[in-house]
Amino acid sequence: MSKIIGIDLGTTNSEAAYVEAGKPVIIKSAEGQPYFPSVVAFTKTGEMLVGEAAKRQAVTNPDGTMQRIKRKMGTNEKVKLRGKTYTPQQISAFILQKIKKDAEEFLGEKITEAVITVPAYFNDDQRQATKDAGAIAGFNVKRIINEPTAAALAYGLDKEGDHKIAVYDFGGGTLDVTIMEVGGGVFEVLATSGDTQLGGSDMDQALVDYFANEFKKQHGIDLRKDPKTLQRILEAAETAKIELSSMLQTDINLPYITVVNGDPKHLELKLTRAKLEEIIAPIVARSEHPCRQALQDAKLKPEDIDHVVLVGGVTRMQMVQKKVEEIFHQKPKREVDPMECVAIGAAIQAGVLSGDIDKDIVLLDVTPLTLSVETLGGVATSLIDRNTTVPTKKGKIFSTAADNQTSVEINVLQGERPMAADNKSLGRFHLDGILPAPRGIPQIEVSFDIDVNGILNVAAKDLGTGKEQSIRITGSTKLSDSEIERMKKEAKEHEEEDKKRKEKIEIRNNADVLVHSTEKTLQDLKDKFSTEDKEAIENALKDLRAALTGDNTDEIKAKSEALTQALQKASTTIYQQAAQQYQQPGQPQGSDDAWKGHPSDDGSTYDADYKVKDDKKKKSDEE
Amino acid sequence: MPTKKNSEPKKPAQENLHQKIKKLEEELQKIQQEVTEKNDKYLRTLADYQNYQKRMEKERLNHEDELRKKYLSEFLDLQDLLKKASEDVNPQEGLKLIINNLDKFFEKEGVKYIECKGKPFDYLVHHAISTVEQDDCVEGTVVDEIKKGYMVGEKILRPSQVIVTKKKETTHGGVQNE
Repeated sequence: MSKIIGIDLGTTNSEAAYVEAGKPVIIKSAEGQPYFPSVVAFTKTGEMLVGEAAKRQAVTNPDGTMQRIKRKMGTNEKVKLRGKTYTPQQISAFILQKIKKDAEEFLGEKITEAVITVPAYFNDDQRQATKDAGAIAGFNVKRIINEPTAAALAYGLDKEGDHKIAVYDFGGGTLDVTIMEVGGGVFEVLATSGDTQLGGSDMDQALVDYFANEFKKQHGIDLRKDPKTLQRILEAAETAKIELSSMLQTDINLPYITVVNGDPKHLELKLTRAKLEEIIAPIVARSEHPCRQALQDAKLKPEDIDHVVLVGGVTRMQMVQKKVEEIFHQKPKREVDPMECVAIGAAIQAGVLSGDIDKDIVLLDVTPLTLSVETLGGVATSLIDRNTTVPTKKGKIFSTAADNQTSVEINVLQGERPMAADNKSLGRFHLDGILPAPRGIPQIEVSFDIDVNGILNVAAKDLGTGKEQSIRITGSTKLSDSEIERMKKEAKEHEEEDKKRKEKIEIRNNADVLVHSTEKTLQDLKDKFSTEDKEAIENALKDLRAALTGDNTDEIKAKSEALTQALQKASTTIYQQAAQQYQQPGQPQGSDDAWKGHPSDDGSTYDADYKVKDDKKKKSDEE
Repeated sequence: MPTKKNSEPKKPAQENLHQKIKKLEEELQKIQQEVTEKNDKYLRTLADYQNYQKRMEKERLNHEDELRKKYLSEFLDLQDLLKKASEDVNPQEGLKLIINNLDKFFEKEGVKYIECKGKPFDYLVHHAISTVEQDDCVEGTVVDEIKKGYMVGEKILRPSQVIVTKKKETTHGGVQNE
């Protein structure tokens, strides 16, 4: 089935989203923005512009540009643009058409169906007009839903039991407050209120006035008079507003803002959050009355409201959040981007209609904690990371830690700590019958498979003999929230010390490997090393072995480095000698077995292994 | 409906039916198993996809960090140099070189200045901030640049912010031309 998209057809901007693999995704405009300016224009040459391009030319073409058409929806008013008259439905249809086109481009498929949102207070005429606009744009409008309902859907509030929701939608130009009741997935609007002349732009204006007045006090010049300087302080106001959402103070520095009597002047201001809040307080305060009105109309007290949802960019400001909390006596929800919230909710509704969201199937579990196995030195080596969607299967190849080891123990662990002992052991088993071999040679594949029911199957297979052992662990994904939280908290608390411990083990493990490989090298190259080099290596090896019996990590590290250096020095000598021998043709190359396992790139060495490889290579080259 | 009548010898028709039921039951079982397998496969693919999405998101953030590092280090160099220039009694020469370096950096990154002054207004690359009425002018010409605009490759880095001419109007009627 083709996709149904959700559209938040807004007064100043519109947004669109769709559901992909159960998750809502915002659709970007052809201009690369996550929104579409709700602006339509006809140029002098009769060309139609919609969105960003129309917005950019709006002031040059006031007679040919239409903004805020949403306010005329459902009325009989006609719009005259460059001599032609249009209904509000037609203008809205142009915006929807642009969204349709860009969405098709974005998704790479034809889009014919949509869910469109409208304000809760829209009457039947306004809703019908919106539906008609969709039809004109070529959409089969599957449903018209209320903006606050969409916002609630974005928060999944339809899934909870019967409860009451307040949606506080403070946008660029309007404030809408809606009180709803939800029961059995059905939303009923109890009351709506708002202010069509209140928005974020009022805040920007107040800030611009503040900046301009401060500058005027100092330099006697009104920056608002010149469109050039006005634009710069307007941009600075928007930036400051955003910055003070996360910071307590910001500097507004606009160098060379203007010239007074041939003297360049700069705007330099410090703005604290407290000052910003003082400036916008009257605007925020105006939002209180509509909230109280809505509560009163719904015959509810603030305590009767179960959830408060924030919509609109202005709600990113802490002061606004505080105000809402003060009015409704509870912390509002704001996890979903307040600008995208309504479009996301519309997309979720669309997803339910198209079958892209099927509550029974698509909601897959995730692993609450990391699943790992214990490896050498008591380290927890992860196989399935925390937050991985299941069902899933992951495997890793391990080997033995000692020579001639015939059995390995698989200890299945759950938790975020790097050391096995600090995590919860879900179960353990042995894989026996591994053929005796030097350490590191056997290949044991350990796989973790979590099925859709959250049952973890752990299997260990010796790839050499084909022998296999497995264990079934139930309930690995079903942990209580408090248990998950506790384990995560513990991991966080011990992060530093755990890291050090793990490092310690790693240094020890590496030293261990180094000791083994050095022993082998000494054995293999015993005739190659000079007595002096051999002695140096043996001494360094002895030191490292001694260090390994103790617990001093720095000592182990230092001795490892010393041994590595001794080895490097010795091998350099060997290579230098070999190079010298090469320069004398006819010289014997030394014993063959010394090169076993280390085939040189040079074809002149007499190594049986190497020749075989060469033949194979040639063959594959010919093929 | 076939019923069990053990006392009577089975009629061939009944025998046939039994066989048919058995065959259908087997088929049903096979299909049921197939559905279970397919469903499992579907769920695993979906989970894989969701895990892929998570990984991509992580990679995207990593990538973003790398990009930021690159640009931030350029800015840090610039900061060092500007600080030196601000301590210089005669910074003109130094500033010239700093600006030169910056120009080169942007050039290397494919950043191109958008011409605007004196050109006809172009909504594709210009953003009109305001208009200015003039008696004698070609309407829709950019007369002033508020903020420089740039392209990066074929894309707009940011449009020029401009002031555009408008013919002086004496009447309010008949402004809308066909």
